[in-house]
Amino acid sequence: MVEVLVLAEHRKGELRDITFEMLTGARKICDKIGADLTVALLGFNVKEFAKELADYAKQVLIVEDERIKEFNSEAYQKILAKIIGERKPLLVMIGHTAIGMDLAPSLATSLNIPLTTDCIGLDFKDGKLYAIRQIYSGKVNAEITFKDAETYMVTIRSGAFQPEKPEPPMGGGIINIPSPLTDEDFAVKKFVEYVEEAKGEIDISAADIVVSVGRGIKDAKNIPLVEEFAKAVGGVLACSRPIVDKGWLPKDRQVGISGKTVKPKLYIAVGISGAFQHLAGIKGSGVIIAVNKDPKAPIFRVADYGIVDDLFKVIPVLKDKILELKGK
Amino acid sequence: MQSLHETENVFIKNGVMVVEKMDIIVCVKHVPDTAEAEVTIDPSGRDIKKEGLPFDINEWDNYAIEEALLLKEKHGGKVTVITVGPEEYNETLRKCLAKGADEAIRLYDESFKGSDGYTTAKILYSAIKNMKFDLILTGAMAGDDGYAQVGVTLAEMLGIPHASLVKKVEVKDGWVKVNRELEGGLEEVAEVKLPAVLAIQTGINEPRYVSIAGIRRAAKKEIKVLGLAELGLSKEEVGELGSPTRLERLFIPEVTKKVEFLTGDPSEVASKLANVLKEKGVL
Amino acid sequence: MAEQEILQRLNLLACMQCGICSGSCPITVKAPLNIRRIIRELVLTRKLPKHKEEYIWGCTTCSTCEVRCPRELKPYELLIDIRNWLVEEGEVPVNIRDALESVYKHGNPWGRARSKRSEWAEGLNLKQPTQGEKISLLYFVGCAPAYDSRVQEVAKALVKIFGKMDEDFRFLGNDETCCGSEIYSMGEKGLFEWLVEENQNLFNKYAIDLMVTTSPHCFNIFKTRYPEIKFEVQHYTQYLCNQLEKGKLKFQEKFEATVTYHDPCFLGKRNNIFEEPRKILETIPGIKFVEMPRNKAQSLCCEGGGGRMWYDLPGERLAEARIMEAESTGAEIIVTSCPFCLINLEDAVKTTGKEEKIKVMDLAEIVAQTI
Repeated sequence: MVEVLVLAEHRKGELRDITFEMLTGARKICDKIGADLTVALLGFNVKEFAKELADYAKQVLIVEDERIKEFNSEAYQKILAKIIGERKPLLVMIGHTAIGMDLAPSLATSLNIPLTTDCIGLDFKDGKLYAIRQIYSGKVNAEITFKDAETYMVTIRSGAFQPEKPEPPMGGGIINIPSPLTDEDFAVKKFVEYVEEAKGEIDISAADIVVSVGRGIKDAKNIPLVEEFAKAVGGVLACSRPIVDKGWLPKDRQVGISGKTVKPKLYIAVGISGAFQHLAGIKGSGVIIAVNKDPKAPIFRVADYGIVDDLFKVIPVLKDKILELKGK
Repeated sequence: MQSLHETENVFIKNGVMVVEKMDIIVCVKHVPDTAEAEVTIDPSGRDIKKEGLPFDINEWDNYAIEEALLLKEKHGGKVTVITVGPEEYNETLRKCLAKGADEAIRLYDESFKGSDGYTTAKILYSAIKNMKFDLILTGAMAGDDGYAQVGVTLAEMLGIPHASLVKKVEVKDGWVKVNRELEGGLEEVAEVKLPAVLAIQTGINEPRYVSIAGIRRAAKKEIKVLGLAELGLSKEEVGELGSPTRLERLFIPEVTKKVEFLTGDPSEVASKLANVLKEKGVL
Repeated sequence: MAEQEILQRLNLLACMQCGICSGSCPITVKAPLNIRRIIRELVLTRKLPKHKEEYIWGCTTCSTCEVRCPRELKPYELLIDIRNWLVEEGEVPVNIRDALESVYKHGNPWGRARSKRSEWAEGLNLKQPTQGEKISLLYFVGCAPAYDSRVQEVAKALVKIFGKMDEDFRFLGNDETCCGSEIYSMGEKGLFEWLVEENQNLFNKYAIDLMVTTSPHCFNIFKTRYPEIKFEVQHYTQYLCNQLEKGKLKFQEKFEATVTYHDPCFLGKRNNIFEEPRKILETIPGIKFVEMPRNKAQSLCCEGGGGRMWYDLPGERLAEARIMEAESTGAEIIVTSCPFCLINLEDAVKTTGKEEKIKVMDLAEIVAQTI
């Protein structure tokens, strides 16, 4: 039977969203080409996850080993190489995440499997796999094809698929696979610990209104302009990655995959073009408003309302208008 | 593979014996800046029009070369920059030389065109496998195609460990301790045995400025160019022929969600927005 | 020896250590910058004073020290040489690094694409010259007027004025490149030389009679550090004053307001252009002109020069003090004629909460409203 294999991703006792997003995307492909959906779960004391995943897949392969309580690319690679080598799935899906980026390229290379990364869409047409990925920071999409192979591998961007639970649940079987790991497998790479960014006074992920500032602000000294606007609308100030990289705002204000995921009722993006890693961090927001000079900025693809203008012109006027309304 | 650790890893700095002199290779790419550009697709349908776009070192690689220079300043050793690309890529190599890299190598043959991430790594591998090094740094990804694939692939080809999305590097006793950037503001601390490949994430340091006079001085330094034959590769192994994946076509993405643009002068826009906020009950 | 060359070029052995320079430096209230001492250090040790402190980047090159120096020296030039050393060492504050890189890459220090340089002029039907064309007036817009939304209004005002006077002028569109004034002041001499070469090559393509600039900074650098420029360069206030004298500039509308004038350092102290803007203002019907206590050569710097648009020094901004001073004269409008002054003074109006009391305008904006 043709098989699509998805790698489940989990960290700190939780299955990550990307797992369910991939399973949803994979299910559609399986339905189309008549393949079985299998999910691989690697970790320790993860049987509860296996039960949860069984609702989404035909079978759950579970490999437990105390030494992979935390992700380790070397150990994961050894286990997955064995599973893929034996089962020869048609397609392997891994998240384009901190785990996937550390694992997929070396795994694919070791097995001589064609790989493309950071996909936002997948399709099989006439038995041929097509992957869609964004390039030039989301301004252009590229369609990727593969040389004929027994197995293909792709990594999937967070948020590319909306997670849906199958109805009825698939009730997949759970298959325990003994761990092939030895201490040797940890001889060159070791997990030490997690370090959490120190929590600031303001928790942007809990706020109802978030005003985010991006590269368009040009200079640290202009940030108060947006901060005052945030205050006027009763929101908290957040930012995109470049602002943190430049040291203009602390890391705990960063919205996006590597920062915080926010789900406010109102999200206002000021001078943010909308790199995918930022967009993925705001996808659960209620109303999204974007102010940007470039009408083609990717942020407008997710925004409900757009203002194409210079933020330095618009923001002071918006602030005054809102204060005026609030005064009434 | 030969590593300096087996031979001459001790040197004296300010009268103090310092171990672990580092020979570092940094893989860099010369990319167009499309931040403000109207991106259009060229007649081949498989590339964008690049005329008039300014090119520069890939942002991630700029952090990687800086990290290499910081390590060299701390531990001693040598920094070699390497790239895969045509003559224009010399500009980025010269910038790296001006910043303090010791040597620069450019790998190029016409047949490299169309190489995917895997094949680009293979070209780099064919040069690097004959070189002495303790550490290889790459950017975590490139700002143009964004594959985030070359560094980790290269590590596998060389048979050495790697870490990606690296935000902190500390070398000690033949190991490198790294912080990897995870999602949600979390970092993972990991230890990787040298020699290794680290794919560097932005924000790890503050890249230095390099003056125009410095770049001009660096223009006199030699850039070693290696072609297909010197790398021991054949045309079938590189470019589109040698790549397991192929960029079939480009297209401008459709707008999936319809955005409503609020137009007018700033005060009209402000009124319209205020109405929206009232309607939605968020104000 | 580089030190010897600096000593000679800046004639610093003539310094008698009177201390007028450091005593009159406006930055000393904010930072421990002591230019007299730094000169002394060089003269005494014959070594470049290798200071890396932030005050080295604090100097606005306002040239108050030069204006007051009894030996006619240019003390601030030594700071530019120290910056040049820091630039070559790669030890440059982050925002200055970004500004310098942007000039090399995009031809402007604001990090904006070259392809957007003439966006402000969309719909204005401005003409770019063709190769070899004889140009009676070339309008050199400048980077801040091209990209900063506030200063774009000044560029548009000047275009309107040129139009009213039937000038068949040209502008360089997206070919225009940073003049390098601030690049020179930030000590990136190699980049500056490159810009001079680029710009001169561009200008040489045309037969230019007169160039008019928006910014005193562009004006000053073209006048002083472009040896191959053979055509006349004027700041727009000079040009307008000439037109006034010729009877070509006539005011149709009244402008009923009490105004004062802030002398930009690069126009006033650097180039002695004090009277032209005043003459224009005083001729505009309805204007009541008042002077601030510190005027002309005593004018207080807005902190916009010397790369300070990209480098902030903590503490009260001089522009804030300037706004207080302007307000005390009873003026409703503080007029200036420099993009950096306009930006900084307007910021200061906001930070001091004086929005209801005083407004900042560029002289060109008032002229455009009244002709």
